[in-house]
Amino acid sequence: MIGFLAKRLAQALVVLLLVSVIVFVLLHLLPGGPARAILGVQATPQAVAHFNHQQGYDRSLPQQYLMYLGRLLTGDLGESYRLNQSVGSLLAERLPRTALLAGLSLALAAVLAVPLGILQAVRRGRAADHVLTGLAFLAYATPVFFLGLVLVLVFSQQLPLLPAEAPQADTVGGILAEPAGLVLPVVTTALGIVAAFSRYLRSAVLDNLGEDYVRTARAKGQSGTRVLVRHVLRNALLPLVTLLGLYLPTLFSGTLVVESMFNYPGMGLLFWNAAQGSDFPVLLGVTLVVGVATVLGSLLADVAYAVLDPRIRSVP
Amino acid sequence: MTEPLLRIDDLHVDITTRDRTVHALDGIDLDLAPGEALGLVGESGCGKTLTALSVLGLLPAGGRITRGRILFHGTDLAAAPEPVLRGVRGHTVGMVFQDPLTSLNPTMTIGAQVAEPLRLHTRLTRAEARAKAEEMLGLVGLPRPAERMTHYPHQLSGGMRQRVAIAMALVCEPDLLIADEPTTALDVTTQHQILELVDALRARLGMALILVTHDLGVIARRVDRVAVMYGGRIAEHAPVRPLFAAPRHRYTQALFAALPERAPDPARPLATVPGRPPVLTTRPTGCRFAPRCGFATDLCRTAEPELTDGPDGGRPADRTAHTFACFHPAGPAPGADPVAEIRPPAPATAPPRADAPLLRLTDLAKSYPLHGGPFARRRGAAGISAVAGISLTVRRGETFGIVGESGCGKSTLGRLAVGLEAPTTGTVEVAGRDLATLRGGELRAHRREVQLMFQDSAAAMDPRMRVGAVLTEPLVIQGIGDRAARQRRIAGLLDDVGLPRGAVDRYPHEFSGGQRQRLGLARALALAPSLVVADEPVSALDVSVQAQILNLMRALQREKGLSYLFISHDLAVVRHVADRVGVMYLGKLVETGPAEAVFDRPLHPYTRGLLDTVRPPDPASRPLGGETPSAAAPPSGCRFRTRCAFATERCAAEPPLVGRGAGHVASCHFPLRG
Repeated sequence: MIGFLAKRLAQALVVLLLVSVIVFVLLHLLPGGPARAILGVQATPQAVAHFNHQQGYDRSLPQQYLMYLGRLLTGDLGESYRLNQSVGSLLAERLPRTALLAGLSLALAAVLAVPLGILQAVRRGRAADHVLTGLAFLAYATPVFFLGLVLVLVFSQQLPLLPAEAPQADTVGGILAEPAGLVLPVVTTALGIVAAFSRYLRSAVLDNLGEDYVRTARAKGQSGTRVLVRHVLRNALLPLVTLLGLYLPTLFSGTLVVESMFNYPGMGLLFWNAAQGSDFPVLLGVTLVVGVATVLGSLLADVAYAVLDPRIRSVP
Repeated sequence: MTEPLLRIDDLHVDITTRDRTVHALDGIDLDLAPGEALGLVGESGCGKTLTALSVLGLLPAGGRITRGRILFHGTDLAAAPEPVLRGVRGHTVGMVFQDPLTSLNPTMTIGAQVAEPLRLHTRLTRAEARAKAEEMLGLVGLPRPAERMTHYPHQLSGGMRQRVAIAMALVCEPDLLIADEPTTALDVTTQHQILELVDALRARLGMALILVTHDLGVIARRVDRVAVMYGGRIAEHAPVRPLFAAPRHRYTQALFAALPERAPDPARPLATVPGRPPVLTTRPTGCRFAPRCGFATDLCRTAEPELTDGPDGGRPADRTAHTFACFHPAGPAPGADPVAEIRPPAPATAPPRADAPLLRLTDLAKSYPLHGGPFARRRGAAGISAVAGISLTVRRGETFGIVGESGCGKSTLGRLAVGLEAPTTGTVEVAGRDLATLRGGELRAHRREVQLMFQDSAAAMDPRMRVGAVLTEPLVIQGIGDRAARQRRIAGLLDDVGLPRGAVDRYPHEFSGGQRQRLGLARALALAPSLVVADEPVSALDVSVQAQILNLMRALQREKGLSYLFISHDLAVVRHVADRVGVMYLGKLVETGPAEAVFDRPLHPYTRGLLDTVRPPDPASRPLGGETPSAAAPPSGCRFRTRCAFATERCAAEPPLVGRGAGHVASCHFPLRG
């Protein structure tokens, strides 16, 4: 188990390094560059050259990358051009908020998707299955921004039940103190995930219901419900654990849209604004955080899978 | 007869799928006394498993009992509501299924699974149930049951898992055990152990048994009575001895005649049953077997025979008497060979044979690294020794049979012989040329000479390629002929293997199992090879179809002068087809020689042990116990010594080759005399 973990960690580090290279190169290939973005179109060539020299942008790309990596190792993610704040402190401020949004959405998605998936599987081919399948595809196919707009129009404009703007408090505690404001962002983020997870669970439960061990359990005299709970569910939920881990990047792109839509002061909004203003250090910092989260997510999924599935656990 | 424990009366079962209804069971009558053992035999699709599942109300989706009663302890299970059935399942009726690999829950401990029926049906506490489960695991012969309780199914071998499945079925001490092909997925020596175990437990617990199997050899020694099923009905029903001595129904007779072990003369083709079982979407008029029966008359095609004790007899009051549903039964005289009359005549000419060696394997060894990864080899990590030092020759026109249990390395040997894998050490020579020295075009040309035939030809063909494309592909790869020439060649191949030429436009899944094996053979023969390596070519087939394929392989061998390396776990089949055989155990060839010599007078104790599993019980024999050790850490010296009754310390040293002349040799310190 330790060896397995060490191996997966080493792989994760390599992946992260590659992520940083790719992000770095991509950003520097953008036309215009940060100087124009910061100093404006009116700036003189001298000013641009000065700025580039100051920031080290006149050196070769590999050199710049190494400098960036060196700073990274000391925990220095650079300074935001626009916000006059270190990227590190920006992230420290925003990350918990996005984590809160993503965590609440995932939890809601899981709570809804598991029973829905089971219901679809058990009622396969009947009305409930068809209706839920239809709704799932609808939710799955609807873009997040459109879904958010519809929800705002209905629940905030037509029926003034919920605020259209997310809580603006500085701390996680402060945000949680205004639960009404969280409802629409969380639901918007979660609905697509509910659709995907419930469909996935439906087929996993159906697969398992067809397995021989289910027949064995019935031959022992177990009732249908107990077979489902005691035998099928654990086997069917296993692949969902992996899916949860792999869903982190999707979740982030979802929060990016949702945060800018509801003006939720998280990492997504930060990224959105930074992208508009070519705020390179911020973009790099956020991308790196998302990369780490993605890699950690799949690592955690693997570990959880290994803990839950005895067949994986005993592999040396 | 005492009051029956189970009485099935006029049972009808329909299976409804989206587009059709199959009348899968059509009037089954069966009685079973307490403590009695009944065998249900027949080919796949005849309804034997459905009959067993009906008793527990576990029919597959779409299955429904439309008529009839299933009286168990006086309760009609066919009409019983689900809660009543649940009270019976696992409590008074236990069931063991075919595949021990899939019939246990992979994420539950063995202890929890065995204790589950107790928790459902008894008032035992958790601790008491676990104690009872542990006791039961000991009873079914699981070593160290206390430790095994906390293990998961994947940590056990197939045979051990089947013991767990039996423990699960028996833990509530049922009155009836239903075993559906309980040993089909297991090796012969394991199969023997499991059947012995079921016998012993049946005697000890005084329970009745329904044993469902396609294997007539299994049934012969294990049950009191047999019901032979065909097309959803019982064709013949008799106590086991009379049935085996003189089968009366022409179907039973044909089934026996197709068995390779009943063939008196290996030089003659096996009797086959042409055609296929009926599809039961409509109730056939007349005898269901009539379309495949050589004795059928107009009467058979118009009237349906009932179970009687003679052509003019009525139905005897004793429901356990010998009855059969046939208008033209075989003669009742035991002793006379009832199958001789339907056996085809021997071919006129003997097979041509030369002594020139075609395939020569020298000191062939193959091991696989136990741990994957790019550095496994350099680390010198432990390996699986799949094939360890095998030398043998296959002559032109000869069939060399390789027998052994799963994991003995016989399939690896086949792949090495074809050149699909490179040996770790040793050489493979075909027609005098070392495979390892061939490169590029030469190697490709060589591949024509040696072709493979698989157990499951459907899985070995691209499901999205039409048969024509499947058969043409080897010709295209080898650049043989133009389009027209290839088409002629394929038409010829289909003629050879007895398939209609129209088959080229169809897909592999549209064919039956036997037809697919014919396709597999046709593909192997497309390049006119001199050697075909056939890896378990008939293991997935029913006996009647198996006989067709074996006859076909033999006929083509005579016609084309082919050699076969015939790999199988089935001793009777190998004995029938092979001129010479090699017996493999854990990567080594323990014995080789002419087929008759090896089977009649084995030298190696392992060969003897294998043969004992298919022979009538002999007090002098010592059946094989234990399980094959892991190939990752094989025993030193003789690899069989851990299971051998004769083994001493000397066996830890490499065993010598001992011979009895005529090429019959074994590697053993203590060869058998006989």
